[in-house]
Amino acid sequence: MPDFSPTQYAVPLFVAAVLAEMVWARFRRPEAYEPMDTLVSLAFGLGSTVAGALFGGFALYLFIATYEYRLFDFGPEWWSVWWAWPVCFVLDDLKYYWVHRAGHRIRWMWASHVNHHSSQHYNLSTALRQSWTGAFTFGFLFAIPLVLLGFHPAMIAICGGFNLIYQFWIHTEAIDRMPRWFEAVMNTPSHHRVHHATNPRYLDRNYAGVFIVWDKMFGTFEPETNEETIRYGIVKQLGSFNLLWSVFHEWIGMLADIWRSPWKHKLSYLLREPGWTHDGSRETSDMIRERWRKNIGQSAKPNSVAPRNPIAGQGEAA
Amino acid sequence: MEIHPLILQSGGSLVAILALYGLARWLGLGGSPSLKDTDLLAAVADEVDTGFTIEQAAVDRGGASALVKHADGRIMVIKRHGNRYAGRILDKGAKVREEVDAIVVDCGEARFGTVRLSIENPASWADTINRL
Repeated sequence: MPDFSPTQYAVPLFVAAVLAEMVWARFRRPEAYEPMDTLVSLAFGLGSTVAGALFGGFALYLFIATYEYRLFDFGPEWWSVWWAWPVCFVLDDLKYYWVHRAGHRIRWMWASHVNHHSSQHYNLSTALRQSWTGAFTFGFLFAIPLVLLGFHPAMIAICGGFNLIYQFWIHTEAIDRMPRWFEAVMNTPSHHRVHHATNPRYLDRNYAGVFIVWDKMFGTFEPETNEETIRYGIVKQLGSFNLLWSVFHEWIGMLADIWRSPWKHKLSYLLREPGWTHDGSRETSDMIRERWRKNIGQSAKPNSVAPRNPIAGQGEAA
Repeated sequence: MEIHPLILQSGGSLVAILALYGLARWLGLGGSPSLKDTDLLAAVADEVDTGFTIEQAAVDRGGASALVKHADGRIMVIKRHGNRYAGRILDKGAKVREEVDAIVVDCGEARFGTVRLSIENPASWADTINRL
């Protein structure tokens, strides 16, 4: 069985790319980076690696056990079945779409995934801002169908690693639009800026990992518009660079809500979308969007990434 | 003595992280946009609460924080966070402390922290917040 972790090999590339983007920012957009924000994001990345090593064992055990009940068998040398790799990669990306969508629509999952979104910046260091608490959600269960189909857990892990590596480069404002054909099929900086935006029109959109086609297929695609400046982060910005608060704030908030709420609503605070409350005291992304739609047309102001970014391409959106 | 690969990798990553942080500072990345820019102030208020339109504003003399009031009476405190801004709508849990020419607003969230505003008519704003 191959013992290979693509993300480990990619770490030097990540560091070099962040360094290069910082130099770009120095000359083009110094405000694209904030040293403390970068420090927190990179600390998230390091902590995530450690947490994965410490707490990832249960998921691995479950996958190995489930693999014994696989429907199809690629044989003892499953890694030599060449066509299984691209099929696994595509199916793993489909899985990523749904686990990511759940990560935004189920508060238990959001409590972990919010870590990736709590920066108010969007640069390559944001890509490394990964959760420490993923093992305490049920996201790993989304991979069970792939294991049952006969894809070895190691194959799924390797494909997932390359998926994450792909997603690294799209966390940037240094690239405006890719060629039209590429934007049509692949996830790109433009599509993923939308995903990280807090502008009401963009909330809970573009969940794709590698292939943007999943969003188009399942009705969650939203193209980036030049009509308004993108704002990054979360609906209720943290306003703090405290690392531990940044890691655990949503877990604390969720558990506090569960503790305080009437019994019949406790489960809803765990499983319903972020912002849901039993007394309507807060807003979900759908409610914010609806409120915005009522006010639409009052303050649209053209200020996209492209005019602010001299090296950005002039390609047309898909 | 053999060092565990995870410790070795984490140590190397930590060195790289601190180096990148130092580089970001050395390159002068970040900046301090001022809330005296009325367009920025309006954009930040709208970001904190979609559709929030400013009827009255008091911007800190340094441009790092502001209090803004909506026509319906809601008050929002805004503070600089890095080179971005974050804000909160104040409610009856908010506390305000007066200084000689400034007020210190506590929105009630410990992790958000207090916001010091050196503004015109601090007593008037303090009174408004106290009446929430």
